[in-house]
Amino acid sequence: MVRCSLRLFQKASKTTQNQKWISSLLPVCKTPDQAKQELRWIQMELPQDKWDQAIQERSKFIPLQYILGSQPFGSLDIKCRPQVLIPRWETEEWTLKIINKLRGISSLKILDVCTGTGCIPLLMGHSLPHLQIKAMDISSDALELSNENKKIHGITNVEFKYGNVFDKGLLEGEEFDLITSNPPYISELDYLNGETEESVLQNEPKLALVGGLEFYDALVNNVVLPSKATGFFFELGDLEQALYTQSLLNKDWCTKIYKDGADKIRCVYGWKKGSKMQVLEFI
Amino acid sequence: MFGIRISRTAIPSRSNFIRPLFQRFNSTTSTTFQPLHPALIKRAQQLTQELKDLEASLADGGHFDINQQKKYSRLSMVVDIYRDYSENVTLYEELQLLLEDESLKDEAEQEIETTLPKLVELADKLKSKLLPPHEFAEKACLLELRPGVGGIEAMIFTSELFQMYINYANHKRWQYSVVSKSMNGSGNGILEGILSIDEPGSYDKLRFESGVHRVQRIPETETKGRLQTSTAGVVVLPQMSDNNQSEDADERVFAQGEVRIDVMRSSGKGGQHVNTTESAVRLTHIPTGITVSMQDERSQQKNKSRAFAVLRSRIAEKERVEREAAQRSLRSDQVSTTDRSDKIRTYNFPQNRITDHRCSYSLHDAPGVMRGEKLDLLIDALEKHEGQVRSKELENMES
Repeated sequence: MVRCSLRLFQKASKTTQNQKWISSLLPVCKTPDQAKQELRWIQMELPQDKWDQAIQERSKFIPLQYILGSQPFGSLDIKCRPQVLIPRWETEEWTLKIINKLRGISSLKILDVCTGTGCIPLLMGHSLPHLQIKAMDISSDALELSNENKKIHGITNVEFKYGNVFDKGLLEGEEFDLITSNPPYISELDYLNGETEESVLQNEPKLALVGGLEFYDALVNNVVLPSKATGFFFELGDLEQALYTQSLLNKDWCTKIYKDGADKIRCVYGWKKGSKMQVLEFI
Repeated sequence: MFGIRISRTAIPSRSNFIRPLFQRFNSTTSTTFQPLHPALIKRAQQLTQELKDLEASLADGGHFDINQQKKYSRLSMVVDIYRDYSENVTLYEELQLLLEDESLKDEAEQEIETTLPKLVELADKLKSKLLPPHEFAEKACLLELRPGVGGIEAMIFTSELFQMYINYANHKRWQYSVVSKSMNGSGNGILEGILSIDEPGSYDKLRFESGVHRVQRIPETETKGRLQTSTAGVVVLPQMSDNNQSEDADERVFAQGEVRIDVMRSSGKGGQHVNTTESAVRLTHIPTGITVSMQDERSQQKNKSRAFAVLRSRIAEKERVEREAAQRSLRSDQVSTTDRSDKIRTYNFPQNRITDHRCSYSLHDAPGVMRGEKLDLLIDALEKHEGQVRSKELENMES
């Protein structure tokens, strides 16, 4: 019989344990490389006694961000939990681009509608501490979480409050310069026919996902126009939503469609001709 | 340390130059003084003049920015040594004359005995200061390590080298961070590792590490006890970014369209429809074809900014190497340089020996080097070796 050293044995059993975990993660991660990566992140961010449970949950398609409790967004780690949409990299990408364009502007009032975790206004407030930002959401879970995120990062120039975008008196007469939003934009059809990922369907709130043209109509007519804003930037899921939004604005406005890093139509944005929000033009 | 210093003093004579440039136990102690080459003296005089001009412009109330401050302190250091050296040369020459006078001979001899070592040391110091500093001398650096030939053993050795540089940074109390590290399947070796050493000036120390490192030993994985030779490649790059710059500053250095950025591309609609954890970013610098991939961070943004920092470093190093090659080809005196494919150092563990092939320097404390404590001995030897080669180049160029 061949004896092997204790050290070698421990090493081998550690390797097989990792292999077992990687194969549990494989169905949800799709590639072995990604499974290894997720295992590494779980092992880095959670204490050892939580690893097994975390991997069990993940293999049942629970989002990694709910298991680890956060998602990086620019330089911030945004706290995440069920009932609130997890920030996407596409949103992070355009938020950072806007921040870069606003660096030179000394005073500005920004409003973010359907704010969710608060990722957009918090990153803006963190990077541009001299600007004043308000943000609204209809969900009490979202408001609670966004306020927690504000506290975690010690951000003082962002204020969260309840707001329903379909409420015509939403603004109570307050004016803003720039409106941003990532409203729910998945159509009922896409939600049911397989266009939406299983893990999203099972775990993220439908309230934050399913919506259509009515949101863009409300954003323009209940928010952009009454606020006298001179710029807006809305995330969306298809060309129709972009064209519809563009059709709502008269010729005082310039509007453009923004494609994300994966070359997909992702946002519609615009600025009033001759206003300081023209900085958005070459985003 | 003292042994090394003495052997170096034996080098300046040009006829001796063909001998192996560096021998640890070289017993030749210098008894005669070899004055500095006229080309070097000329350069010292030039620098003295430059310092005078700088001081004059300062007296006139000229603008004195950070670069000029650096220049001023560098110049005044060299000029101080040069003055000291000149004084001692004059003293030495006078003493030589006194030797001919029988009545003063003994005293002169005594005096020479104390002056000579001082003079030799000053000449050495001056020589190394007269050589212009490396263009990236003040930069922090990135170390990239990849296994070469030798399969799993090469990957294991790569991870040991990776640890050696971490140990070295710890030993020096330098800040460092692991930029990326991909392990092999069995988790005992590295496929690719990038280490960022954030200390300004660390590039100047570690640049000698670039090249192929060779290991000779009986691998852990070898069952029949056979000695194996494997290699690992190390590339040292200057860090081009500042510490306190904004996240996308590296990105902004490039013109629009100069770098292609590839991120995860799902076949579906993206956005709210999917929730991916894939955060890998790949950059392609179109003019040079250099590609950089980063995937270790959960944040795509962090992967991107790291990738841009690495890209800038790789391009800067590539341009430097090309400039150097172009300058070399202009010169008639071809100095043989080490090719990237040449092995620079051997780690022979059974013999407890580490040999650097560029300066033929051997050290018999492999664990000490791997702990990062003795690596400086190798680096010092290489610095001296380079000083000699470069002053030789300078002499040839200007004579």
